Amino acid sequence: MRDIIRMVVVLTLICAASGFALAVVHDFTKEPIEYSRLKYVKEPAVKAVLKGYDNDPIKDRISIVIGKDRYGRPVKLIIFPAKKAGKIFAVAFETSGKGYHGDIGVMVGIDVKHNKLTGIAIVSHSETPGLGARIVEKSFTGSFKGKSLAKELTTSDINALSGATFSTKGVLAAVNKARAIFKRYHAQIVR
Amino acid sequence: MAVKKEFTKGFWEVLPPFRLVLGLCPTLAVTTSAENGIGMGLATTFVLVFSNLLVSMLRRFIPKKVRIAAYIVIIASFVVIVELLMQAYFFPLYKVLGLFIPLIVVNCIILGRAEAFASKHGIIDSIADGLGIGLGFTISLFALGSVREILGNGTWMGLHVMWAGYEPFTFMLKPPGAFVCLGTMLGLINFISLRMEARKGSK
Amino acid sequence: MSLGDFLLFIIGAILVNNILLHRFLGNCPFLGVSQRMDTATGMSMAVIFVMTMAGTITWIVQYYLLVPLRIEYLQTIAFILVIAALVQLVEIVMQKTLPALYKALGIFLPLITTNCAVLGVAIINISEEYDFVNTVVFSFASAVGYSLALVLFAGIRERFALARIPKVLEGTAIGLVTAGFMALAFSGFAGLASH
Repeated sequence: MRDIIRMVVVLTLICAASGFALAVVHDFTKEPIEYSRLKYVKEPAVKAVLKGYDNDPIKDRISIVIGKDRYGRPVKLIIFPAKKAGKIFAVAFETSGKGYHGDIGVMVGIDVKHNKLTGIAIVSHSETPGLGARIVEKSFTGSFKGKSLAKELTTSDINALSGATFSTKGVLAAVNKARAIFKRYHAQIVR
Repeated sequence: MAVKKEFTKGFWEVLPPFRLVLGLCPTLAVTTSAENGIGMGLATTFVLVFSNLLVSMLRRFIPKKVRIAAYIVIIASFVVIVELLMQAYFFPLYKVLGLFIPLIVVNCIILGRAEAFASKHGIIDSIADGLGIGLGFTISLFALGSVREILGNGTWMGLHVMWAGYEPFTFMLKPPGAFVCLGTMLGLINFISLRMEARKGSK
Repeated sequence: MSLGDFLLFIIGAILVNNILLHRFLGNCPFLGVSQRMDTATGMSMAVIFVMTMAGTITWIVQYYLLVPLRIEYLQTIAFILVIAALVQLVEIVMQKTLPALYKALGIFLPLITTNCAVLGVAIINISEEYDFVNTVVFSFASAVGYSLALVLFAGIRERFALARIPKVLEGTAIGLVTAGFMALAFSGFAGLASH
């Protein structure tokens, strides 16, 4: 009997110590991990749409709430600001639109003063190689650069991909979603 | 000094994975480049040293019947710590090593040393044992990674080292190449061991 | 998933992305027990049984315990504890209910706890975001693939006993080289099931 008690006590103590140590390390590394994740996964896209800034958009990122998910938990959006001498001149954030084969992740860059696109970059997609997958080409994404966001964008505003209407529409949906978010949360974004 | 012996044995007598034939899975999987080999080796060494340390510290308190379970909790905890630290500060390496970082917990080397050595020796000796074997393992991974990288990619530690027209022997980077390469190196090490023994015997 | 997709998924797991010869999981026991056919078959049966159950239970633990409590970072330690406990439980139950099978499996059953293939497949199920059915099927198919490689390998190695092998290559070394050629053969399946 004493043996069993001893076994249980020792194991419980070890597990408790382990749990405690891990919770501490987790807490301590939470910030660096999020930064690393964003830096290595999103930074290339951010760099593709924002140019000429003198800050670190990843480090200076802010998070705004744009709604609630089906559990009632707030849905957050991360905004990457581009600054010159401390003032924000452009922002980038990621939205998604439904393509032919699933969601297309698009990083959208917006010039805050002139309300136009600084550019877009495709972050993730599962479109058909040779057809829809051509949305990553510069001739397509480049055609978004400088376009005004006064009105919603349509296929006639950009270099639509022939033979890949769904993919093109998916990217447009993502861009227009970004436009709507920017309009609605303008004050919070350009803090 | 006894401690020195415990430390240096990890570099030859008990060298993993060649003479201590354990830890083969990560060896085959991550040695597609010398740098990855070092990364995995050091991560494993970290876990090995700390788990040896803790097992040695607690060896009088852990009842025999639950020792394996206790060792697993201790080892797994350090693996999670390594995972978190790598994600925070060495993210690209973390992405490359992928699945094999959590798999350090079932790397037989670590559980093997905890059971065979740390549970029966003092703290300093256990640390030396862990450090020696861990670093020996790192060197093995580095060697295998180097061979596969040089032959399979024409580079070493990311720098081009082969002549301009070299057609990479990509077989080396794929699974079959890994097996063949490791097997050949093991054969080489066996050859060296037999030679050394023969020489010792004839003295 | 259509039936066709499903079959491809299974074939993919068994042959194309064979967890042993392609993903490098489960090598230590592979080289250790494959010297004879009977040990290889024993290990195979144990692996199929444990891997399927482990894959299923760890999936449940992930989505009903770790995710709701936001402690996904404890995945490694939670999974290995589940596997270790599962193997213990299976040992105890099997000893009482199927003693013949228990004897046949011998020491291979407890050895599976440290078989990186089991933990590996459990983690892959989550990282590939498989749903419950896919997880069970993938775990089972992966185990079958592992067993296939193991049994084939044992067949080859039994013949080695009669062959003349250079002394330096005896044992594990020649085993590895052979495994390499098996892996080469299996990589021929690559075009069979394109993801």
